[in-house]
Amino acid sequence: MSAPGRAPGGDGPASGRRARILARVRAALGGRERVTHPGDFTGPRPLDARGSDRLRSFEEALVAAGGEVVRFASVEEARRWLADFAAAFETISVGATVSAPLRPDRPVATPGAAALGVSVARAAVAETGSLVLDARDGRRTQLLPPTHLVWIRGSDVHVTLRDALLDLRGGLPSAVGLHSGPSKSADIGQILVRGVHGPGRLIAGLIVEDDGPRAAPSTP
Amino acid sequence: MSAPRPGGYRAAAREVLRDRPEVRTSVMAATHTFDEHRRASWEEIDADAWRDWMRDVKSHVLTHLDVYLETAEARLEANGVRVHWAETAGDALAALGAVAEAHGVRRAVKAKSMLSEELGVNAFLEERGVLVRETDLGEYIIQLLGEPPSHIVGPAIHRSVDDCRRLFGEKLGTAPDASPEDLAAAARAALREDFLSADLGISGANFLVAETGTVALIENEGNIRLSTSMPRVHVALVGIEKLIPRLEDLSAFLQLTARAATGQAIGTYVSLIQGPRRQGEPDGPEEVHVILVDNGRTRLLADERAWEALRCVRCGACLNTCPVYRQTGGHPYGWAYSGPIGAVLAPGLLGLEEAMPLPFASSLCGACAEVCPVRIPLPELLVYWRERAVEAGLAPVSERLGMNAYAAAATRPRLFGAAATLLRHVPWELGGRALPVLGSWTAQRTAPPAAPRTFRSLWREGIE
Repeated sequence: MSAPGRAPGGDGPASGRRARILARVRAALGGRERVTHPGDFTGPRPLDARGSDRLRSFEEALVAAGGEVVRFASVEEARRWLADFAAAFETISVGATVSAPLRPDRPVATPGAAALGVSVARAAVAETGSLVLDARDGRRTQLLPPTHLVWIRGSDVHVTLRDALLDLRGGLPSAVGLHSGPSKSADIGQILVRGVHGPGRLIAGLIVEDDGPRAAPSTP
Repeated sequence: MSAPRPGGYRAAAREVLRDRPEVRTSVMAATHTFDEHRRASWEEIDADAWRDWMRDVKSHVLTHLDVYLETAEARLEANGVRVHWAETAGDALAALGAVAEAHGVRRAVKAKSMLSEELGVNAFLEERGVLVRETDLGEYIIQLLGEPPSHIVGPAIHRSVDDCRRLFGEKLGTAPDASPEDLAAAARAALREDFLSADLGISGANFLVAETGTVALIENEGNIRLSTSMPRVHVALVGIEKLIPRLEDLSAFLQLTARAATGQAIGTYVSLIQGPRRQGEPDGPEEVHVILVDNGRTRLLADERAWEALRCVRCGACLNTCPVYRQTGGHPYGWAYSGPIGAVLAPGLLGLEEAMPLPFASSLCGACAEVCPVRIPLPELLVYWRERAVEAGLAPVSERLGMNAYAAAATRPRLFGAAATLLRHVPWELGGRALPVLGSWTAQRTAPPAAPRTFRSLWREGIE
């Protein structure tokens, strides 16, 4: 564990630079009218406009960004699909927290060499089509293989990004990645290409069974 | 070769327009595309409500900045992040250089960061024997060309597919008829080696969340996630204005910044970074440093009017809609930030004298104010800096004479009336060109014929 407190390499407590910057900020704000925080954002959301349900909205948003979504009614159904799907990939890399039935029976390689990466998302976001990926599952598996399959449970799909962030707040790992489509760039002459650095193919395996506490319908 | 500076704006803009018409073609097409995407994506939401809210959150942070800086520092350190404070570009570079030296860094990968451009990171590290590789595809292109970025979001928008074909053919051995997919694949392969071999990853930050000490980064390619995950050490350069109070506040900022920049619902990848790899995590950097950079920001914060420019989230929307920026792209502006926001930040961050004549590089059409997601009053601030420049004797001579003459006439009704009558009889084809300000206007235009009677005389008759 990292020890809290001032680590070597940072400025010491008596840092002149720190003190001078803070003093300049306070001087700058001397007579300035203070603006209050406007509180929680409660305006209309993209989802309200779309009017579809939580899972369909997640699917629509991710597909619109170039991702793929495959829906399963049970882990067993997902497992059967996985055997066929993974057969096309020579080697795989699997996230540390992916459960046994959802790990393909294929030769394992390092993330840098694997053709397929398989991760499990901690949550997802309907309004943005985002998968919430935790560093504890392994960042290289999430980023290096050209195809990325991400398992997500229907009960873990939040309506809004704000809900997902509130849920994350208490248990943040060293890094969280929100993945909302395949890697893309339009830097070459404004023409969209996929798979620039991250995976060029992103597939969400959405398992909708025994919906948990967050499964309540989110939209009228 | 002297480094570009804002002072060279007029000559550089003239040169681009005269000698490189293809730049205007590329920039015009790219900015129109960006702006159309923004417009369409704003129609899906109540953009005005989001903009009001984001303006207020940013103003709240800026008017409590000392408190949020201290909160963020404490959280970062509790997360195991090493925090450095930099008053100047020199301080920031020295802190970065010390980290690189302590770890014996020979190769670094860099995620796109406008602050790193402002500070001059690449030249600094390369002088110290560190090979710095830009990993954003657009930044990679301009690094190979030896050019600065032309746009905050799309650094290579001034370059065509053909330019990239020639460049990659020469540097990476791609075929002369390579498709954009082929070119991107070649860059991916070359840069993958750099990600695997680099000891240091350098990033900026879109936001720094005070309550959790989270560095938030937005991108589309995956190079930022890789730059901050693969090397042993990660250094994030963070302007002190980048703070956001709470993690959930990010929700609107992440979404509207993406919608304003490229029209996406959210960036393809968002990184939320809390610190170094922890026990039980399979990978991630061993050390994370955050360098909090002032470099003129407290001076801008102290300005009673222009401090609002510090709300900027660097989406580039004001560049995309600016009729002046669209003619030349960003290079003539002579520093990291171009377009309306660049012209408003420059006097604050660089000083008024150094920033001249950027506040004058605008037609004051007001389009930028219509698209700013944090409602920075850009046209008002451009006028404000022009007034300050006139007061300081820094304005272009013609502008100064024009403004002074107008001010003298406008505050003396009889003189104003006499001048208006006189101007009605000026032979514009000949005389207009000799007048200050109007000279450059009339060089390209003819004036409409004057109305038979002046407004002032009609007004007098109407009320008498």
